[in-house]
Amino acid sequence: MGREHLTNDEFFAQLNNLFEYNRDKGHGSVYLSQKRLAFDTRSQPQTLTKVADDPLWDTHPENPLPILIRAHNNKSSKRNGTDRGDVDKISLSTAVQPDQLDAFFVQYAEACKAGMSGLKKRDRRGKKDKKKRKKGAAETKG
Amino acid sequence: MPYLETSAEWYEQSSLLLKARPTTTHITSKYTVLKPNARKIKKNTKYLEKRAARPADSSRPTSEAPAVDSALEPKATFVLKTYDPASGTCLQYQTTKAAEVGRLIGSLGRLGRHQAALPEGMEDLGAPAEAAAVSTPKVKVEEDVKMGGVPAESKAGGGKKKKKGKK
Repeated sequence: MGREHLTNDEFFAQLNNLFEYNRDKGHGSVYLSQKRLAFDTRSQPQTLTKVADDPLWDTHPENPLPILIRAHNNKSSKRNGTDRGDVDKISLSTAVQPDQLDAFFVQYAEACKAGMSGLKKRDRRGKKDKKKRKKGAAETKG
Repeated sequence: MPYLETSAEWYEQSSLLLKARPTTTHITSKYTVLKPNARKIKKNTKYLEKRAARPADSSRPTSEAPAVDSALEPKATFVLKTYDPASGTCLQYQTTKAAEVGRLIGSLGRLGRHQAALPEGMEDLGAPAEAAAVSTPKVKVEEDVKMGGVPAESKAGGGKKKKKGKK
């Protein structure tokens, strides 16, 4: 996994592509994950090391830590007789600094809402139908 | 790996897990769209043929049509999973509703604050805490209703206590 982390903006652009890709294909999955980035050595080695005496060593770090966000899809290979084609696995990752966390998740929510278009929309049609039916029933009774 | 019933419950349990093991716990979410499989398509065509062969039932013809269409549409689900490999704890929540995504990502953000070891708080935490507080009593009330006539008495007792406190 020797990949470099993307910047947050690049990550969102790529994430939108990933969702768009999924939509074009009509099926498939997008995986998102987040975890604490406890071992980043890019700037300076973190002081977060296991302390044998303290079983809760990791619950109270001195400084806020960045979060690692990953996203990927599934690789698929061509299969005759179906419309399945060769798809490479696309994986993205970005590190979110603690001070940008709130802003990042606002943007993340927007990206996911836009991307997950296959989920069920809120269906108000059924309610209307029921109301109509009730009305109709009332009229027939009365 | 059981699925939790409500997203509020999932959030609560996950935040507890993250408080206990903030370094090892990770949150994975999967958005997946599935086409109906060949068997389902076959079943559906058979069903349609049967329906066509049957004489038209005039009493309820309209309501069944959309249900048949939805059987062949791709199914999309969104699964959230909090997993801690050190203890083996796994908490999952699944939804198919688009309306929930915004709220779920919001709770991912709040859980992210735990992971980043940022202090809880900020103004946005007030609302979810209230929501959780509101949602839990609802569940209790429902349970009580199932139990029988107990809830009315307990509620009344609570009210009286509050009044006494005010005086």
